[in-house]
Amino acid sequence: MLRETLIGSLLLALSMAPLAAALLCLLAPRPRFCEAVNLAAAAIALASALPLPFLVGGAAMLFWGGYVIIDRLAAWVVLCSAIVYFLASLYAVGYMRLLHEDPRLFRFYALFAGFGLTTLIAPLMNSIAIYWIAIELTTLVSTFLVAFERAAESMEAAWKYIMVVSAGISLALLGTVLIYWDGSFVLGPSYQMTWAVMGAAAARMNPVLTILAFLLVLVGYGTKVGLAPMHSWLPDAYSESPTPVSAMLSGALENTAMLGIVRFLGIARAADTGRTPQQVLVALGALSLLVGALFIVRQRGIKRLMAYSSVEHMGVVALGFGFGGSLGVAGALYHMLNHSLNKSLMFFGAGTMMRAYGSKEIPEITGVGRSFPIAGGLWLAGAVGITGAPPFGLFLSEFTVMRAGLQTPFAWAVYVMAILLVVIFVGFMNHFRAMYYDRGAAGPAPAPGISAWCVAPMWLSLVPLLILGLWWPSGIWSYLTSIAPSLSPALP
Amino acid sequence: MSGRDILLQIGQVMTVLLLAPLIQGIVVQFEERVQRARGPGILQPYRDLWKLFHKQIVVPQTASWLFWSAPVVAFTGMLTVPILIPVLTNFPLPLSDMGDILGGGLILTLASFMIVLAGLDTASAYGGIGSSRAVMVAILAEPTLILVFVGITLLAKAMLPFVVNHLLVASWAAYWSPAHLFLVAAFFILLLVETDRMPIHSSTHIEVYMIEEGRILEYSGPLLALLKWASAMKQFILYTIFCNVLLLPWGLSIAGTALGALGAAIGLIVKFTLVASVVVFVETAQSRLRFYRYQEPLAASFLLAVLAIIGTQLG
Amino acid sequence: MLSQPLDPLAASLFSLLAIVSLLLSFVMLASRWLKNYLYAFAAQSWAVALLSAAVGYYGHHPLLYLIAVLTLLFRGLVLPYLIWRIIRRLEIDREIHEILQPASGLVIGALLVMFALAVAYRVAGELHLAQGVAVLALTVMLAMALIGFLMLAVRHEAISQVLGLLVVENGIFLGSQIVVPGMPLLIELVVLFDLLVIVACFGVLVGYLATHAGTTSALKLKRLVG
Repeated sequence: MLRETLIGSLLLALSMAPLAAALLCLLAPRPRFCEAVNLAAAAIALASALPLPFLVGGAAMLFWGGYVIIDRLAAWVVLCSAIVYFLASLYAVGYMRLLHEDPRLFRFYALFAGFGLTTLIAPLMNSIAIYWIAIELTTLVSTFLVAFERAAESMEAAWKYIMVVSAGISLALLGTVLIYWDGSFVLGPSYQMTWAVMGAAAARMNPVLTILAFLLVLVGYGTKVGLAPMHSWLPDAYSESPTPVSAMLSGALENTAMLGIVRFLGIARAADTGRTPQQVLVALGALSLLVGALFIVRQRGIKRLMAYSSVEHMGVVALGFGFGGSLGVAGALYHMLNHSLNKSLMFFGAGTMMRAYGSKEIPEITGVGRSFPIAGGLWLAGAVGITGAPPFGLFLSEFTVMRAGLQTPFAWAVYVMAILLVVIFVGFMNHFRAMYYDRGAAGPAPAPGISAWCVAPMWLSLVPLLILGLWWPSGIWSYLTSIAPSLSPALP
Repeated sequence: MSGRDILLQIGQVMTVLLLAPLIQGIVVQFEERVQRARGPGILQPYRDLWKLFHKQIVVPQTASWLFWSAPVVAFTGMLTVPILIPVLTNFPLPLSDMGDILGGGLILTLASFMIVLAGLDTASAYGGIGSSRAVMVAILAEPTLILVFVGITLLAKAMLPFVVNHLLVASWAAYWSPAHLFLVAAFFILLLVETDRMPIHSSTHIEVYMIEEGRILEYSGPLLALLKWASAMKQFILYTIFCNVLLLPWGLSIAGTALGALGAAIGLIVKFTLVASVVVFVETAQSRLRFYRYQEPLAASFLLAVLAIIGTQLG
Repeated sequence: MLSQPLDPLAASLFSLLAIVSLLLSFVMLASRWLKNYLYAFAAQSWAVALLSAAVGYYGHHPLLYLIAVLTLLFRGLVLPYLIWRIIRRLEIDREIHEILQPASGLVIGALLVMFALAVAYRVAGELHLAQGVAVLALTVMLAMALIGFLMLAVRHEAISQVLGLLVVENGIFLGSQIVVPGMPLLIELVVLFDLLVIVACFGVLVGYLATHAGTTSALKLKRLVG
């Protein structure tokens, strides 16, 4: 009882803080005030999200008349989002000042807080349709964030983003309608479409229709996640948006959309649909890895490089969920957390270097190690981590996913993944070698000095990453494996 | 095989033969009137035919046997088709099962084909242009026509036009079903195309616009009369199929009496006048299009035929 | 609702409205002029609203009358008005460089309808639904979604792309009215308002595109590659 009230109030704080921040920013459009309000809201959100995984038990809990659900999976995803929201808000303070857009800054922070709000509450939505609406809202809010810098490229990126993602989300709506129809044969014409209800009814639902609905939802929410071949909006949106927004898009939003796919996977598995859902998920994951690898090797833009790396990592997560079983699911979920931390670090470094050197192109960023020892060192460490090398967290999660895959009929995907990870490592580190150690062309000298606001989040993301790479607490392990049976039990 | 039936059969052919120029006259007169000219009068095509039968035939040196045979084949074909379709009566007459809907379409196409060859036969430039344009249009129009016929067949689940007629008269649900309405629309577009009333050509004798007229430019005298009569009869036949089978299947003689046949003939003229006014309106309300846009109405017609067939499958 | 046999008049009314909506999406596919798209879209929204009311009447779902009225108002009047304002502000009349000729578009659309029919037959067979209306609803829903995607893919004008997306939404809404009329009211309402917000955002973005990128045609938005 006490636990319930505590969780309820934490959830309330989690959602009210960014909402209040957004409203305050609109009411009092002074830039420093907005920065502070947003940062405070992010801190409150993080403080509310941190205890959640510890407090949530095995069974899901419902609040607000059954509209809000909190279970272990949702708590995990909310935690990842809250971490990224806090780090990005911290970074934004220093970064946005470099844009010299102070008069418009209040709009940025209002939208940013709104974005944080929508990504935090989307995993908590119990009704499948309301979840869809929350994802749609995230798209709408983030489009304006992507378009914040009023340049032609930003507009192009924002247009592509909203078009492709809205088209995908409408497919997800079609899938939602079809799954409702599927359920109506079992549950009657009118019923509350919540995850639990669908999961319970799934065993009696028609497999063909369920597979069709799942595939539509996979393509639809997969567009948001950035799985290939629906990823075409991703490099543009990530590279043209302000860096804090890129970090949020990559670290928070992708996980939130993945949650939808994963819950539908749980429904599909319960509906006795055979291996098809997982086969498709594995295929898309492998394809994303391939596309990410190919575009990383030959890449000119620093933020586009990070974007393709996101595509690749979401492919790994998809592979993890596709393999199934407790290893696969645990590995995928751990990967979500590590990826959020690491990708934020990479985007922060990229944004800082971009502003310092005045260019987005890799060939024009040279001698980073000499000019920025601390920030550069952090960034290089992050690069080693993002390509999956030990001792950072991503190595552990990728290794777990591969181990899971070897026990399933999808072992071919593990070999593909291993080869592609090596390719990505080589390609990625090649770019960094060029930026750090190339003595060749001496580009323009970078603007000296990086604000502490920009370096602090990089430290704050690297240290947990290192810890998580060296030590996987048994508590986290048992937490993650307890989520697995409800989602995708091990394949026969 | 009673005498009455034979008389009715002959009467159907004679109706088509004699009334076709009248309908042609009505259409042309409407068109001229809509364009605020006086018009040549409804009976002008009769006067033209009379005049042409009294003129001399001039045969180009480059012409072959095709030159003589094409008008004859076309005319004969147009005389054959009225036997197969419900013109005056709504019950099949003795020779009506000689061919079904597709058979009628075959004979119509054969006649057009012979005229196209005749246009090429004389090796004149205008004949070539006319024939090539006519065939370009026909390439898209003929498959669509087949699809429309298939749709009609699926609608009534029978190949005979008479069955379709009975179905549409008997059942309001069938008449207002989406399949039927789409078939009407598709056939209307094809009607425009086949009777050369697309807003692409001009009805005046300007060679740049000619599609139909170009093919028969080298003909003169009675052969030209036969060709003109054949094209008027083709128009009449298509209108007959459109009205009596699809759009306005009422007004046909049920018992087969002389009075009934006469009434059916008058009913035909009334129905055709209605359709003709719509055709003229559609054609003149639209400004002339580039030739290559002929594919658009035909694609729309194809689409409507496909939707109609889908509609019949879902009933 | 489709589990019990439908009154034949109801079935033909649903069929007629669904097929008219499909036909109007073909009209959109075949037109070059943006105003024509808009009128066809408005007419289609009206047909869908009428269908909603018909389903409410025959299926005894009184709440659907409310949804029908709101659909008529928002999808049928407010949305077209918003888009009309955007078109007027942009001073663009038509697709100038077409990627796909309207005639070819119609033929491809017909092929998509046949594909949707095949899928609908398969699904209806699996669910053992005897009625034509279920197959029709699924066919029209999938076909309109596919045609909307076709429009999104081959049109390069920003407004046409937005209208393509709205056709997809119309199709899904139409299908959901026939197959799942009992869906909770809240969801229907929120989806409707969501659509309004989407179009408002599109309007703002199209304005930004015109101002900052100098063009609303996707053929010219080619700076970001690789």
